[in-house]
Amino acid sequence: MNPTKRRGNFAFILVAAVLGAALLTCCRPAPKQTAGAPPAHPIVIGVSLLNLSSEFIVMLDQAMEAKASELGVKLIVADAQRDAARQVQQAENFIAQGVDIIILNPCEVDGSSPAVEKALAAGIPVVNVNSETRATPTAFVGSHDEESGKIAMNYIAQRLHGQGNVVMIQGFLGQAAQIERAQGAREVLAQFPGLRLIADQTAEWDRAKAMSLMENWIQSYGSKINAVFAQNDEMGVGALHALEEAHMKDKVPVVGIDAIAEALQMVKAGRLDATVFQDARAQGSTAVETACRIVRGQPYEKQTFIPFQLVTADNIGEFTK
Amino acid sequence: MPLSEKSNATVPHTGSYRRIAGPYMLAIAIVAIGAILAVLNPRFLAPANLINVIRQISINGILAIGVTYVLLTGGVDLSLGSVAALAGIFAAGLAHPGAMPLVAAVFAGVIAGSGCGLVNGIVVTRGRVPSFIATLGMMTAARGFALVVSDGRPVTDLSAAFAQIAGGDWLGIPNPVLILGAVAAVSHVFLRHIWAGRHIYAVGGNENAARASGIDVDRVKVFAYVVCGAAAGLGGVVLASRITAGQPNAAIGYELDAIAAAVIGGTSLSGGVGTVPGTLLGALLIGEINNGLDLLNVSSYYQQITKGLIIVGAVCAQQRARK
Repeated sequence: MNPTKRRGNFAFILVAAVLGAALLTCCRPAPKQTAGAPPAHPIVIGVSLLNLSSEFIVMLDQAMEAKASELGVKLIVADAQRDAARQVQQAENFIAQGVDIIILNPCEVDGSSPAVEKALAAGIPVVNVNSETRATPTAFVGSHDEESGKIAMNYIAQRLHGQGNVVMIQGFLGQAAQIERAQGAREVLAQFPGLRLIADQTAEWDRAKAMSLMENWIQSYGSKINAVFAQNDEMGVGALHALEEAHMKDKVPVVGIDAIAEALQMVKAGRLDATVFQDARAQGSTAVETACRIVRGQPYEKQTFIPFQLVTADNIGEFTK
Repeated sequence: MPLSEKSNATVPHTGSYRRIAGPYMLAIAIVAIGAILAVLNPRFLAPANLINVIRQISINGILAIGVTYVLLTGGVDLSLGSVAALAGIFAAGLAHPGAMPLVAAVFAGVIAGSGCGLVNGIVVTRGRVPSFIATLGMMTAARGFALVVSDGRPVTDLSAAFAQIAGGDWLGIPNPVLILGAVAAVSHVFLRHIWAGRHIYAVGGNENAARASGIDVDRVKVFAYVVCGAAAGLGGVVLASRITAGQPNAAIGYELDAIAAAVIGGTSLSGGVGTVPGTLLGALLIGEINNGLDLLNVSSYYQQITKGLIIVGAVCAQQRARK
């Protein structure tokens, strides 16, 4: 390769990167409003969401929109598409637009912290929803992810009477949810010496990857596997398919987290043993309520924890309508 | 079409050794790695596991053969994963129990994929946009389209017949493997023995020479993108069947695995060189590593390092063998 061509390639990659970034950056059409409007104007909340391609975040978004229209406040919603840098940019845009308050659904513990810091420095309060940042926001609404891992693994411990081999399918390594759910599960495992974690791998929250992983584990461990803990329902459903195809599902309970619609249907049908319900609706609507209280100068909770709930065939009726 | 027999003379025969050495070395590498895995965990060689490996490479194999067409013309297609997800959404949408005949769902997925490929091809040829950029745009747009069509939620409640596309088997051979086999056989014969297939090599080998000899270069390129899109569509249908859901966020990053399989299999990123058997072997190597590392329960962190090293090592070894 000659030097000119190499330079050409570099320029090409640069152009590609810039164009790619431009293509990927997109916000939903935002209603126009003026900065520094009189106090009588409706409250304007800037919302930056982790990822609108995820069903859970879509539910969170819908809950916020519903609450906002109920309270007569305006939401400007931006999708950070899992990118903390994009999230920080969105916060900067909100500051420039002069929103009254920002609701942040953080992408990363550290990476999204500048979004909180910049807004607070500009005098705009921040409510973190669903997950945390290193920087302390004005208020936090969410759940302890560790708790969900504990609930799931406790269920397995009870099903196996504290004796047996467990495999764990991890989420995207290094994300707060993966770290905390794994930690919660390991804390429970430590309490039950008879429970052994014989394998754990990541399937990156992805159903197809979890299915392949489970197929491979069935090949290597076979009937040694007594239970499966998947850190989200997508992966749990993937593992379930693999076990069903191998005719092993009867003997191996599978537990997921999130209580997505499909998982609830499967619990109802007796295919999936359990999932852990994280209340997107309560998180979203409480975040909007808290934000309004802060803007109006009313008293508010600094931290609101919405509890997780175990969903099994016994209480599935409360979750499906 | 202004395509005559004489244009076949312009097809560059880039040294038969170069074509054969790659796949030959790769097959040895696959056997050698398989032997190591078998020593470390004898279950690797169990027939059930070997079938398992082949089933797991089916989707990547279908996508990889598709992208081989585009790579042969000297282009690249980054939109495969997104297009597969979009096709899966369309197929799943028509696959609810009792809604439509099965063939309609499959057809919808393949047509959706071909349509994306057609747009890619037209943007690359008529729009004079580099394929990297054109298909990067499609990668983003198709993902967005998939989210719009599905309203951001998975399309579920699919018929048992649809689940059989990936879940069933014939004489013990899983259906996805049969589908991959059919795609591979047709593509191999087409690319090696049909004049239109050889034109793809000609365009990638030397575009100007191909044009001078009367080949409609643009038409050949558009054709390659359409085939690639159709393969992505078919792969997306098989994926949706396998996970019994059309998911807007499925198949993220699949384009890179597909391109990796083709390049490991000896396909040149600058066009004109590459074979279907090579691409299949490339997909097989990736699948073998994924399966083997899971069987050995290698920690997730080290899996990623090992995969990266083996992929680069495989290509490196082939480059040396060619010299």
